[in-house]
Amino acid sequence: MSMEAKTQPMARLSGLSLMDVLRVARLPIAIVVVLMLFGLVEPRVLSLGNFRNIALQTSYLAIFAMAQTMVLLTRGFDLSLGYTVSLVSVAASMAMVAMGGGDASILYGVGAALLVAGVIGLANGVLIAGIGINPLVTTLGMANIVLAFASTISGGFPVTGLPKGLTAEFAQRSPLSIPMPIWIAALVFVLLFLVLKATRFGRSLYIIGANPRAAVAAGIRTVPVLVAAYTLCALLAALGALLLTARTGSGEPNLGGNLTLEAIAAAVVGGVRLSGGEGGVGAAVLGALFVTVLSNGMNLVQIDGYLQQICLGVIIIVSLIVNRDDARR
Amino acid sequence: MSSETATMTVANAPSHRASRIDRFLMQGGIVITFLVVAVVATALIEPRFLNRLNLLNVMRNFALLLIPSLAQMLVMTAGGFDLSVGAVVAATSVVTAAVMLVGSGYFPGMELVVILASLVIALGVGALVGLVNAGLVATFSLSPFMVTLAMMSVLMGIALYFTQGIPIYGVADSFIANVGRGQFLGLPIVLWIGLAVLAACIVMQRFTSLGRHIYAVGSDQRSARLSGVSTGRTLLVAYMLAGLLAALTGFLMTSRLGSGQSTIGGTLALETIAAAVIGGVSLRGGVGRAELVALAALFLSVIANAMNLVQVDSKYQTLVLGAVLIISLAIERLLLRKRQS
Amino acid sequence: MLEVTGFTKRFRGVAALDNVDFSLNEGEVHALLGENGAGKSTLINLIAGTFPWAEGVYRINGRTITSLTPHVAQEIGIAAVFQEFSLVPDLTVVENIFLGREQSSGLFLKRKQMRQAAVELLDSLGFHLPLDENVAFLSRAQKQMVEIAKALRMSPKVLILDEPTASLTDGEAEKLFNAVALLKARGVGIIYVSHRMSEIRNLSDRVTVLRGGKKIGTVVTAEISDEGLIEMMVGRPVEQLFPKIEHKPGPVRLEVRDLTTEKRSVIGASFTARAGEVVGLAGLVGCGRSELCRAVFGLEVVETGAIMLDDKAVERPTPTSMLAANVCYFPADRGSEGLALARSARENATMSSLDLPELSSGPVLKFWRENETIKTPLANLALRPMAPERKASAFSGGNQQKLMLARGLMKPFEVYLFDEPTVGIDVGAKADVYNLIKSLVEAGACVVVSTSELPELINLASRVYVMHEGKVVAELAKHELSEAQVLSHYFGGHA
Repeated sequence: MSMEAKTQPMARLSGLSLMDVLRVARLPIAIVVVLMLFGLVEPRVLSLGNFRNIALQTSYLAIFAMAQTMVLLTRGFDLSLGYTVSLVSVAASMAMVAMGGGDASILYGVGAALLVAGVIGLANGVLIAGIGINPLVTTLGMANIVLAFASTISGGFPVTGLPKGLTAEFAQRSPLSIPMPIWIAALVFVLLFLVLKATRFGRSLYIIGANPRAAVAAGIRTVPVLVAAYTLCALLAALGALLLTARTGSGEPNLGGNLTLEAIAAAVVGGVRLSGGEGGVGAAVLGALFVTVLSNGMNLVQIDGYLQQICLGVIIIVSLIVNRDDARR
Repeated sequence: MSSETATMTVANAPSHRASRIDRFLMQGGIVITFLVVAVVATALIEPRFLNRLNLLNVMRNFALLLIPSLAQMLVMTAGGFDLSVGAVVAATSVVTAAVMLVGSGYFPGMELVVILASLVIALGVGALVGLVNAGLVATFSLSPFMVTLAMMSVLMGIALYFTQGIPIYGVADSFIANVGRGQFLGLPIVLWIGLAVLAACIVMQRFTSLGRHIYAVGSDQRSARLSGVSTGRTLLVAYMLAGLLAALTGFLMTSRLGSGQSTIGGTLALETIAAAVIGGVSLRGGVGRAELVALAALFLSVIANAMNLVQVDSKYQTLVLGAVLIISLAIERLLLRKRQS
Repeated sequence: MLEVTGFTKRFRGVAALDNVDFSLNEGEVHALLGENGAGKSTLINLIAGTFPWAEGVYRINGRTITSLTPHVAQEIGIAAVFQEFSLVPDLTVVENIFLGREQSSGLFLKRKQMRQAAVELLDSLGFHLPLDENVAFLSRAQKQMVEIAKALRMSPKVLILDEPTASLTDGEAEKLFNAVALLKARGVGIIYVSHRMSEIRNLSDRVTVLRGGKKIGTVVTAEISDEGLIEMMVGRPVEQLFPKIEHKPGPVRLEVRDLTTEKRSVIGASFTARAGEVVGLAGLVGCGRSELCRAVFGLEVVETGAIMLDDKAVERPTPTSMLAANVCYFPADRGSEGLALARSARENATMSSLDLPELSSGPVLKFWRENETIKTPLANLALRPMAPERKASAFSGGNQQKLMLARGLMKPFEVYLFDEPTVGIDVGAKADVYNLIKSLVEAGACVVVSTSELPELINLASRVYVMHEGKVVAELAKHELSEAQVLSHYFGGHA
């Protein structure tokens, strides 16, 4: 009862007020405002080339943010996402090098990536849903296990000698002059959008996140759904890891260091609720765009990388506070 | 009828009490078993473990893990989480060294004053971080996990920005000699400090209303508030104490390393959570005792030392840490499940 | 001593309490009577400072109070025992009794003194409790006693008791009544909320009746009959609230044999339910009737015993398998187990039926047909407002209940298990729920209703099983159903 103490603002009765518009469209508005502000300091921010660059960078982060969203929707968390990216990058690269490094070895790389990520995601899911351990601590522990492998299996060094086709096909090729990563991120977006909207699995994610006990009482098999969610999250992370590996042209043990935080930040900024059951891949993509615009702008006006880290923390807190109000039920 | 209820309660009482002792034994039992096995196994495999110098080393490392673990315990029993512990340690290490560097220029020859000043300022930073964490958690009822995760990013950013990752030297020699490497009655000074903090925590948990309020807020915030406990103030004190303890760790760490380093504390959030969880602190809050957390911290220090002695790559040590954390939680879960049946 | 006038409180624009006056004298027991949702709990919560009132004047001992928190209320001598306890599970009995009011000298707690004070307090009430046990391990009745002792730690001038006997056996209730008499003699004013006529009659000096958030009247207890009070409370003759149900008991649909749950909340319970009848499960809160329903639906782990559907034993029931076997369960607590409050009405209505061919084929969800599918069920239940895209949390209690019940209309189920179907909903919605039960039964379904509202059982059920401490202690046929008959079995004494 005490939850209901807050009454709805009267504005709702008088049609769409300015406040309503601001509330619904605050993130797109914020993106434009941030672009403008950086544009004032550094006109290159607003160039067509930079827009293309922003879109490209966003596509990578968006994949990770969408991956994270799959588990955030269930009231979960995946803190092992970043290091999964590192490990996948190294493992897939080693597999490709071991298979000769020709273009045909790309398949082995993809196979290794899916295998590694599948095992990590499955382990997370079984520990969390099957045994019932807290997702934060499970994935925190998993993060460190994965990190240990990522930083040792290649002796801690970047893996070079990757197939030329990898970079050519998945980083440089631009069908219809749109870079490949953007195509892939868009495809992932469409697929996940459909999964969430038009499958029983997607609906189950939302119901479990909104109220796990109600989901059980409604006959939803929560354990397999949760295991699938964590596995899907890890597999998407692996996809992103392959794309990033294609871009750098080498397997990097440090590839994913900051990605966990950035992916969570993007999802949270976009409006995916940590309390579960609300948000979607659209929110994740928009959030990723915002975070990318911000870091792109800071890079162009040459703000120190460490200051950007501070900004990321502040943005997370601010967006938690801003998004809090609609969450009040 | 009334006599029947009376006998019923009397008859039930011993079984209830037994269940309580049971639970303590279960948790204490796990920790003590872990500890004994680790000590015996290490001593057998690697006799150098029992070497006096090595034991002193274990004790120092134990103390430096114990203090932040107690910080983590305070926040966790209050129903929270503190991922920023390691970042506070790094930031206050930098602050301690920086204050000493600058201070010794202004007040040459007054080392004690400079050292104390650096301690006070470091503690101030820790308390401030706790204040901000608690303020965000309590005022906006945000997830403590996210708040402290973001805080970690902010603090690491600040520490790295000011140092660019380069250690700050120029720490007072007497500080290193007397605190970091100092001994009293044959035991390291830092161990004495750690034990003093532990004693203070035990007393606080058992014998003060603050201790009770922390348990109450962590166990059931709504009930605590309705009972007249000021939940906001209790959270504030818990997070600020945690910040102070983390800052103390940063201060002591500086004296041990001989420099202020922005890169330390990376795995401390994981280590302290592991120590707390193995020591029986509930992830849902309301349960947890300092003495068991201390035993768990000792256990982790012993296995870290054992791995160093047998020359396990330090990168694999985080693997063991992560695995130990998950396994101990899984054991607890499975035992709980079994007990309910 | 205590006087409030013109008290008004709105939740989401709906008046939960509308211009209510209430007064309490020293040494008086003033009963509050009303159905669920009548505004009783809102009124006592406002008096106890749980949340602020919108309009009205609050006066105590001649002082006007403008705002109140639970803490301040306790300081000025107002203590409350709500149905929802304010106990901390991980602290002991003694620690809970003094929580927030610890006695200490300097930094340190006076643990011995507090323990002694707790012993004296509990002795004066005649309660026997394990003082050093964590509250988490106490029974509901024991928790109730701790809660009462806790309310009295400050020697309050006003004591609010919200259905204090809902989970007490009559021996324990007797002790409570003695304590009430004792406090009354000391001049404490007591606000007593209860459903039970006999308690109101024995204890109270005056009764105030609320209905739909409005005050219907205040009367001296000795000057009004039970029937008069009921009429004031319900606002219409009882026959109009409860529809006449034609029971046509057919073959046995559901049979439970000697069922014991893993947590021992149900011990050796047996019952049968036939098609075309309403079977009632009665008993105190915590007697195991909820758990019995939950066990049948696979939400409690069954240790021994059998659950038979149409004479076929069900192995390892799960909600998924029971739904598939045409058994539908409506949980007692909408918020915690029934609804996904953050999701839309539409998704809440369909969440247990996503496997129906109308709604899915294979993994694909036919979301475009969802609105079509839920249209009839929601219209039959008269959901207000009819807004399928609105979040479940934005509906009133009664309409949230309808969203949950709509799940039972998505396909023809054969067995319906209702657990407290009318908790916290208004009279209009209650009538809707009763009519739903009527239409289900008359269409040949088998309905099991577990409820703490005796009038529901007496007017709806064809047979009633009474439970006590996990066991079924009595089975009453239609002609044996009266409030006194059912209550006489509540404490297991006459089994």
